[in-house]
Amino acid sequence: MVDSLRIALAQIAPTIGALDDNLARHHELIGAARDQGADLVVFPELGLTGYQLQDLSSEVAIRLDDPRLAALAAATRDLSAVVSFVEEAADHRLFIAAALLEDGEVRHVHRKLFLPTYGMFDERRFFAAGDRLRATPSRLGVGVGIGICEDFWHLPVAELLALDGAQILINVSSSPGRDLAATHEVGLGTATSWRTIMRAYAQLTTSFVIFVNRVGIDESIAFWGGSEVIAPNGETVFSAPLFDEGLFLTEIALADVRRERIALPLLRDERPELLARELARVIAERAGSALNLNAEPGAAEGPGGLP
Amino acid sequence: MNRGPILAPAGADGSPLFELPEELAIDTDIARRVIGEFIRAQLHQAGFERAVLGLSGGIDSALVAYLVAEAIGSERLHCVLLPYRASSPASRQDAEVVVAALGCSSELVDVTPMVDPFFGAPGVTGSGGDDVSALRRGNFTARMRMAVLYDRSVTWGGLVVGTGNKTESLIGYTTLFGDSACAFNPIGDLYKSQVRQLAAAIGVPEAVIRKAPSADLWPGQTDEGEAGFSYPELDRLLFWRIDKRRSIDEVVAMGFDPGFVARVDRMVAGAEFKRQVPPIAKLGPRTAGVDYLYPRRRPGSARG
Repeated sequence: MVDSLRIALAQIAPTIGALDDNLARHHELIGAARDQGADLVVFPELGLTGYQLQDLSSEVAIRLDDPRLAALAAATRDLSAVVSFVEEAADHRLFIAAALLEDGEVRHVHRKLFLPTYGMFDERRFFAAGDRLRATPSRLGVGVGIGICEDFWHLPVAELLALDGAQILINVSSSPGRDLAATHEVGLGTATSWRTIMRAYAQLTTSFVIFVNRVGIDESIAFWGGSEVIAPNGETVFSAPLFDEGLFLTEIALADVRRERIALPLLRDERPELLARELARVIAERAGSALNLNAEPGAAEGPGGLP
Repeated sequence: MNRGPILAPAGADGSPLFELPEELAIDTDIARRVIGEFIRAQLHQAGFERAVLGLSGGIDSALVAYLVAEAIGSERLHCVLLPYRASSPASRQDAEVVVAALGCSSELVDVTPMVDPFFGAPGVTGSGGDDVSALRRGNFTARMRMAVLYDRSVTWGGLVVGTGNKTESLIGYTTLFGDSACAFNPIGDLYKSQVRQLAAAIGVPEAVIRKAPSADLWPGQTDEGEAGFSYPELDRLLFWRIDKRRSIDEVVAMGFDPGFVARVDRMVAGAEFKRQVPPIAKLGPRTAGVDYLYPRRRPGSARG
């Protein structure tokens, strides 16, 4: 196990729909990351395809046995990389996926669980939602948990990944910059929200959080970058600039996870059995198959005729 | 982390250049960065390196000229001054000041000989423009300017950059296929108050920022005089109603006059057609804009 990890944040501007161009850029930056001694290089959500794909989604989709993905994996000898693309499953469902590539292999694939389909987002129209959440062992020596953008806007994701063994939480994003009100921390409402979430997740899971967000323009949208690494105590290890494309390197000390988890044993004190029990109750009540003892007066009857 | 209220910048005499409602203040550095990236990307993705726009002498087109010059260099920008005979000479002078400050290419195309002969031409009512309604003449003038700009798009080899702001788009103070016609619009999501803030930050001349906004269709015309309300109060109302999703009751409770609120709501709803692509009757299995949904810019879409 290595004590110190060199992390490369590939804050790139993918070209929409141009899979081959984006693949070439990934190969180039994986090479650059290796040359600079990186242990892990992380690319943003849909870095291989661009974000605002709409009907292009099916045209840029690849299968997990695609030779182009294998070639990218082959470039990761002595290195870990997280890359993201449109995955076409055997039954032809399309997923927004992120893969951990290590030592020449596809080590782990995460399919985006939460597809924002509101406001400016329309993902559910084009994609299927993943239904598995697993941390994965890694050659980095600790467990790794991957989420894709909106996945981290749902509280249980970070908690489950940490309980499942992740000490490094990775979020790959294509987050559109918006809300330029001058009162925000960095003049951008989106950045303020994300920074709040990242620090809270790092502190509450006592894990490192690595956030990699793309830059560049798809249609009307400017992606804001601002990739970050947050330490298990919630402090910022590194912040990449807003809107600038680049490969940004930083170091993390895994001993910080141990130190924080001993000083602040939140994970030790988590109550997954309590969570599972209460969630099972809530699920049953919402399905109408159990009596909701906390129902407000006048609440609509559930399908089972219960309040 | 709250950075506190942003105040409107002061002019040469020390007085505020304009009234800036606190909730509308934006981070102008971020806005310039995003808009610069946007302009470069729109041109690059379309296979163009140059831009053309109509410069009226008003703040909106002046700001866009500064933004385009900042994004791609003034040598790639062509500004067309398009006065009509009723346009104020001061507008033309202000436009010339902007051109001189930016050092960009420019030309003057007087649209009077294109507009006036239309009214009274065989089969067209009116004569020379003076006896027709301001609506007909204003719309025709705006569309003639559009036609000139799209011709210059070919001769200059650049995309037409839109100069309309969010306020006028929301209330429909635009001419469909006229001043709203463009290849892309860098300031269409900025309220007038935010246009003023950005214009001050990027160095648009003070005289252009201070003067009363006008469609410049007849002497003495001003937007605010015609509409009967001020931009800061209109911008605030639109911001709370639309961006912040406040109900009519909520904005009235905030102090907005109920009659003003009702009138602006009607204007916004009535202008919906100006903001959207015209509907196509759905007949086939796959229809543009309905279930044929591609990004405008995709592999192969750029000019060869």
